[in-house]
Amino acid sequence: MLQKKNLWWVLAIAVFAMYPIVVTNPLFTTIAVFTTIYMACATSWNMFSGYSGYIALGSAVFYGSGAYTMALLSLHLHMAAGSDMFWLVPVGGLVAMVFAVPFGWIALRVRRHTFVVITIAVFFIFQLSAINFGFTGGTSGLALPFITWGYQNFNTPFYYVGLSLVVFATALSAAVRRSRFGLQLLAIRDDEDRAMGLGVKVSAVKITGFTLSAFTVGAAGALYAMFVGQIYPQFVFDPMFDVSIALMTFLGGLGTLTGPLLGALVLEASQQYLTVTFSNSSLYLILFGALFLIVIMFMPQGVVVYLRDRVTRRAEREREAVAANDLATADAVAPLDVAVGGAH
Amino acid sequence: MNSIALLSAAKDGILTGSIYALMATGLTLIFGVMDIINLAQGILVILGAYLSYALQVHWHIDLFVGLLITIPTMFIVGIVIERLFMSRLKGPEKTAMSLLVTYAVSLLIEGSLNMIFSVNDVQLQGWYVPKAFAIGQIHFGYVYVAGFILAGVLLSALYFMLYRTRFGVSVRASLADQTSAALVGIDVRRVSTITFGIGVAVTAAGGMIYGATNSFNASSSYDLISRLLTIIVLGGMGSLGGAMVAGVSMVFIGDMVGVIWSPVWSSMSYFVVLVIVLLLRPQGLFGKQLTRAA
Amino acid sequence: MKFSKAKYLRAAAATSIAGASLLTLAGTSGASSGGLAKGAPVTIGISLSLSGDFSADGLAFQQGYKLWAADVNKTGGLLGHKVVLDIVSDASSPTQVVTNYQDLISVKHVNLTFGPFSSLLSLPAAKAVARYGYALVEGAGGAPSVFQAGLHNLFDVSLPVANDLVPFSKWITSLPKAKRPTTVAYVTSNDPFTEPQVTTIEPVLAKAGIKTVYNHVFPAEVTDYTSIADAVAASKPQVVVLGSVDVPTVSSFMQAFEQSGFSPKVFIATGGPDQGTTFLKAVGAKNANGMMVPNAWYGGSSNPLSKKMVAEYVKLYGGTASQVSSDVVEAYSVGEVVAQAVKATGGFDNKKIIQYLHSKVTLQSAQGPVRFNALGMNTTPTAFTFQWQGTKFVQVNPAGDPNSVPVLFPKPAWGK
Repeated sequence: MLQKKNLWWVLAIAVFAMYPIVVTNPLFTTIAVFTTIYMACATSWNMFSGYSGYIALGSAVFYGSGAYTMALLSLHLHMAAGSDMFWLVPVGGLVAMVFAVPFGWIALRVRRHTFVVITIAVFFIFQLSAINFGFTGGTSGLALPFITWGYQNFNTPFYYVGLSLVVFATALSAAVRRSRFGLQLLAIRDDEDRAMGLGVKVSAVKITGFTLSAFTVGAAGALYAMFVGQIYPQFVFDPMFDVSIALMTFLGGLGTLTGPLLGALVLEASQQYLTVTFSNSSLYLILFGALFLIVIMFMPQGVVVYLRDRVTRRAEREREAVAANDLATADAVAPLDVAVGGAH
Repeated sequence: MNSIALLSAAKDGILTGSIYALMATGLTLIFGVMDIINLAQGILVILGAYLSYALQVHWHIDLFVGLLITIPTMFIVGIVIERLFMSRLKGPEKTAMSLLVTYAVSLLIEGSLNMIFSVNDVQLQGWYVPKAFAIGQIHFGYVYVAGFILAGVLLSALYFMLYRTRFGVSVRASLADQTSAALVGIDVRRVSTITFGIGVAVTAAGGMIYGATNSFNASSSYDLISRLLTIIVLGGMGSLGGAMVAGVSMVFIGDMVGVIWSPVWSSMSYFVVLVIVLLLRPQGLFGKQLTRAA
Repeated sequence: MKFSKAKYLRAAAATSIAGASLLTLAGTSGASSGGLAKGAPVTIGISLSLSGDFSADGLAFQQGYKLWAADVNKTGGLLGHKVVLDIVSDASSPTQVVTNYQDLISVKHVNLTFGPFSSLLSLPAAKAVARYGYALVEGAGGAPSVFQAGLHNLFDVSLPVANDLVPFSKWITSLPKAKRPTTVAYVTSNDPFTEPQVTTIEPVLAKAGIKTVYNHVFPAEVTDYTSIADAVAASKPQVVVLGSVDVPTVSSFMQAFEQSGFSPKVFIATGGPDQGTTFLKAVGAKNANGMMVPNAWYGGSSNPLSKKMVAEYVKLYGGTASQVSSDVVEAYSVGEVVAQAVKATGGFDNKKIIQYLHSKVTLQSAQGPVRFNALGMNTTPTAFTFQWQGTKFVQVNPAGDPNSVPVLFPKPAWGK
């Protein structure tokens, strides 16, 4: 069973790795780069918010920190414009983690509902600092070293770095979920008081999870900065970024492994493509909002859980028809999903 | 910096702050009773402003007279949103889901407003809008003073309703504990629907004053909602008094910082104040005692 | 802070000079085809902000581009090819702008690209377009930061904004001592377009003995200006220099000043009063009286190209010359400049167009002559100052210019 599952993952990675070889048009590879960035961020966000139930709307702090790390270091170190700059991608992630520790320490002292708003407040503090302080270039932003690769192959290296971030974030998320640490996060989500009573060091666990999730988001921000070549405070510390990755995860399935991947893949790719194709953005807002409401209303646990439930239910019905009470389906529905599914 | 500038800033902070207090009260009331964070509150304020605008432009109805139409209209809008979407939210993830649903609702409204009114900024007009009276060297804009009085009247009415009527008892019971309220025979569903309607209705008044004192379009809602959220958290989520105190003090602090230091730091100041207050009192200024697993 | 800023700018400049040489190589292999089948239309790709923060200007830009295309097509198009504009919306987002230009070039195979609105979007757009060896000619990205990036393929046909207020400062300092104002307030939005303009003239006025009584930057995202305006009013300046980019900001300050019973002798705003009807509608014609704004162009310009454009505009959209937004002419001039480059190079080869635009040749546009320096900055235009006098929008500076009329000074009280 487990091996079969792994096979699917390998196959998926292979398909994604083949993408820029099969699809060479720069428009579609550009969209693919942005999509991998969002897939990595949504997965990483889910690793903390999805597992612990603490919905954060301040991940743009990490994204922006990563982006500014890339910009400032590449400029101050006089880096040659080109692939050397990719080394700064993980550095962006590490800087984001450094910011995440005090951020988490402040924000995670409060209840969940308040936590949401505190993350927003901290986000604004970062955005306004980037606007008001001199070393960030203020509202003029920062122009990164100008990478002069031709259009034919420009996107490909960015795509593979983005894809590595996705693989890394997914592997980390899977590892966390299988670990003791992951169980502690889930316990906090289900009942924080009980988890504390059972001896879980809730504060430490929450801050660790929060900090861990910052890495990939920061790295993705650094990659974005390098890819676009020009950053501005309001676009890398963007409130819509937070809303987007949360929505992607919810649409796919909060707390599941594949949910955020699927949500980001569908949403980011379609949003970019639809905006290009249907330029009337106001109509687009309405369609987007309506689609959202429909999904949330009819599949409140996300597409992944919804589909899995349907498959499971059908399997159950068939099995019941055949014979007895085989409860082996428990493998398909992880304990976590049962907890969410309870809301049905 | 001089004393006139300081006094002016204090006046601006208190007058403008009262409007934010009114809008935030609606938001915190909804949260207290229903555990719903209404992200659409910002765009509903703008919708309220556009309603006043439409009445003014098409039927030449005065802004304040128009409230007799817009407040009930926004009440009904609130009821409809609650019936259609909010009433379906249940279970442990209710609050998180409410963020998504209300965000989706706000996208729908934003897109519609853009299509109907275009994205060009508009401002509400009236003979009294540019007028002011002076006490000493401090000038008081009529609209700001009227807004202050309006906020005072509506908030008093809200308090009267909550503390002097049967319905108010049900609301307060639901604020304290929904399960117990249901046990003693309160129709929590009905209370929720009406509460949501009231919470949205105040945006009509808030939106009118906001629209008469600022140019706005649909995307002004983002600035509004981030301030309103900060206010209700500072005051303590679900606390009506907290929303009022926090609303006035936030804007007051921002305006004072703008004069004493620099306007670039004024919006930063309330986020910093919020973080500091929450470090000392995680439940907010007037919040109920911290319950761990909410 | 200053030191580090200079350092990264130098780094950016160095890398981009190296990049420029590579770029020309990329251009030869790029998709920029010079030949176009006979009778085939020439398509021009543009990304504009039709929604989001910059949408009001984006829509005015769209008018300008469309007006130009209609005019060109009336006279047989470009080199006999009908001009077709492919305008897509970027929702004021740099991510979308990058995607859009790639879509325009690699999928829709447009022959030429015109710039988006706002300095914030021009840079990401120009960098993406550069990969294909395309030129990006634009009309609204004149902030110094745009030119500091040193892109080889980016050209801005409009006036570089940093010197916009210079004629105004010359006028103030030329006033006889007895009439010259003695105090000034600078209040500017935190924006790459406005801040450089204000910092340029502050020392000039200070040297002429005009005391700075208020000098603050306010955040661009603020919607409630009352307390800032009250603080300005409380410092009682005779001159107010407002660094604004749009009409709502100016109208809010005007209203707040009126409420606090304050009317400066001179009130100049860097952007807003140049928006024609939109401005008049927002503030009321009476309040507009005496309001000043710096710019390179106005509806009453005597330039024949401008007169022609204004006539076409009025025919198409109605109104009067004073009501034409400067966004329209900025977009229109982009078209004119590119058309001349196309004619001179005899085709649509972007590499040749870039070379031609860099050749120090002087081109003509409705905004006046255009000549680019190595950074793609238009070095020829002189800034003017304009003023609303009654419901007329007239040129008042530079003082020696034959088209300038005397400044209405002091500014009449509100509503007079």
